[in-house]
Amino acid sequence: MASQRISSFHAALLAPGALIILFLLIAPIALMAVESFHPFVTGRVGSGSGWTLRNYAELMEPAYAFYFWETFRIGFIISAIAVLLGAPLAWLAARTRRRGLRVAMFGLLIGLLFMSLIARLYAIQMTFGSTGPLAFFGTMIGVPARSAGFAVVQVAMGLLHFVLPMVALILVGTFQNINPRLEEAAASLGAPRWRVALTVTLPLAVPGLLSAYMIALAMCISSFVVPLILGRGIVLFATNLMYVRFSDVANYPSGAAIGMIMFALAAIIIYAMMRLTRALSPVESHS
Amino acid sequence: MMRGLSRRDLLKVSAASGLAPALGLGNVAPAQAAEQLLVVMWGAAWIEVSRKIVDAYVAKTGDKVAWELHAGGAMAIVAKIKPAWPRVGYNLVSGWDPVFRAMIKEDWVVPVTLDEMPALKDIPPVFFQKNDKGQLMTVPLSTAGAFWGYRTDLVDKPIESIEQLLEPRFKGKLCVPFPVNLTGLLMLTLAMQRGGNERNIEPGWQFLKELAERGQIGRVINNNSEFINAMSSGETSVAFFNIGAWTQVRKQFPVRMLSRLKDNKGFLFNEGFAVIKQDDPKKVEAAKRLANHFATPAINEQYNWPLGEGPTNPKSKASPDIADVFYAPDELAQYAYIADFDYMSTQVDAWAKRWEQEIAPLIRKS
Repeated sequence: MASQRISSFHAALLAPGALIILFLLIAPIALMAVESFHPFVTGRVGSGSGWTLRNYAELMEPAYAFYFWETFRIGFIISAIAVLLGAPLAWLAARTRRRGLRVAMFGLLIGLLFMSLIARLYAIQMTFGSTGPLAFFGTMIGVPARSAGFAVVQVAMGLLHFVLPMVALILVGTFQNINPRLEEAAASLGAPRWRVALTVTLPLAVPGLLSAYMIALAMCISSFVVPLILGRGIVLFATNLMYVRFSDVANYPSGAAIGMIMFALAAIIIYAMMRLTRALSPVESHS
Repeated sequence: MMRGLSRRDLLKVSAASGLAPALGLGNVAPAQAAEQLLVVMWGAAWIEVSRKIVDAYVAKTGDKVAWELHAGGAMAIVAKIKPAWPRVGYNLVSGWDPVFRAMIKEDWVVPVTLDEMPALKDIPPVFFQKNDKGQLMTVPLSTAGAFWGYRTDLVDKPIESIEQLLEPRFKGKLCVPFPVNLTGLLMLTLAMQRGGNERNIEPGWQFLKELAERGQIGRVINNNSEFINAMSSGETSVAFFNIGAWTQVRKQFPVRMLSRLKDNKGFLFNEGFAVIKQDDPKKVEAAKRLANHFATPAINEQYNWPLGEGPTNPKSKASPDIADVFYAPDELAQYAYIADFDYMSTQVDAWAKRWEQEIAPLIRKS
């Protein structure tokens, strides 16, 4: 009886959130899924009547595999770089005893989050673009600023700017939750600092690192504004293709089909990464 | 039909609750017969000049005008209205011929008459978009066009034909619109260069492939702001785009417009307002009143000069700055072309997909 009361109480607590998720998140996605199976009537707005698989069949063209791959490839790489760069920053912010340094690092990371992304992207364009003061950077790395390849480099820079502060802040929590006495114990037994980091800190941080990676990946692959501003119309993410269909051509069914494919791909990747997290987590692997 | 909270309702509620000053509405007397209008306008010079015109208009009539800016190309407004229809708050939407055609097909636009909008009597009938019944459906304010052009300070030798754009000196220097932009006029100009037209667009794709393969395309733009940024920064030096955006670049940099090419054309079209259907006839009346104001000779001139576009009212004067893109009547046949936007608007979806499948990968590889 008591457990039933607790269950009802929990249900009551969950109800508002569940309703919001159902109506605000699931309902629009379900509607989009339905829309993706309607035909598009050229010259009109939105979808026509009837059902078709054509919107999906069109996306089987090899060119679209490239756009999906491009979106995920850049996302995978930038998320990895963000974790590689963010982890040491987070570790330092979590472990340093110098209050001034910690405040400065948090100030920088949080400040970047609050600064408009648009401003940061245009700053990158003005600085590294073909007429910017650091345009020579492209030539230095073998990708001239005016080339199509440099548009990819600029998009990568923009995405890194977008996700790095978030990744670092997430990882601060991860490192703060690792008991420093474990590291001290390893050090007292004679392990050098690099070995402590690799054999004690890193394994304990794996779940946090993978969570941060997944969040960064989600931010990268769903980014619209970064490729829009820095991609020069040459680097197109799946989000840009969707925008053209919904906004410029008013071909909602085709835009919805791209959205559903991205949704399915993201779900597969998230599932795979959750399995990986579980396999690599020291707690899970010992239980 | 469900009716949203009107401004008048809001004023009543806020006055009763003492919220009006907090909402910034306290300076509007509820007894005023004035109407609140929501007008969709382009950014940059368009909104600047429109605000100036409307400030004086508001002081005179008491009508209030709120603005919303086009996001992306003007066609985006169609996609924005569709899911919200018929509960859209827009009273006037600025646009151009293909956008108006799409809106007329969806039956969102109110016809206008010369009796209720006397300024339209002066405007040549050919400038209006009409519905199947022959009713006037738009308020033409500007004669505009899309042209090739280049910054003379960045290009060493003059361009006399767009075939020259294949030369190595233009590698990465071309700025072109995505093919849905300008309803595919880029495809048409390239097709016409190689003997094609709207219905024979294939030569245009071949030309575009050559440009893409050689790495000539440095930037693909979607709106005026992107064009102005690309051309003003010097990132690109040659482009095909609308004269309004070109004018903003021409204010700062030396530009030669290729409006009189021997083997190609300049593309003409009209911009203006469409009056959007509303339940409240007073709103429609007020929207027509404002649109008529923009079409009067003095205001039509004031509106078009900073935009670098031609007034549609023959009683207005065109800016001398646009003499090079304005055609005398005897030049029209030789240099100007009015595209079949009705047909092209049925093709842009296929053209956009073909661009994604064939052209964009070539640009990336180049």
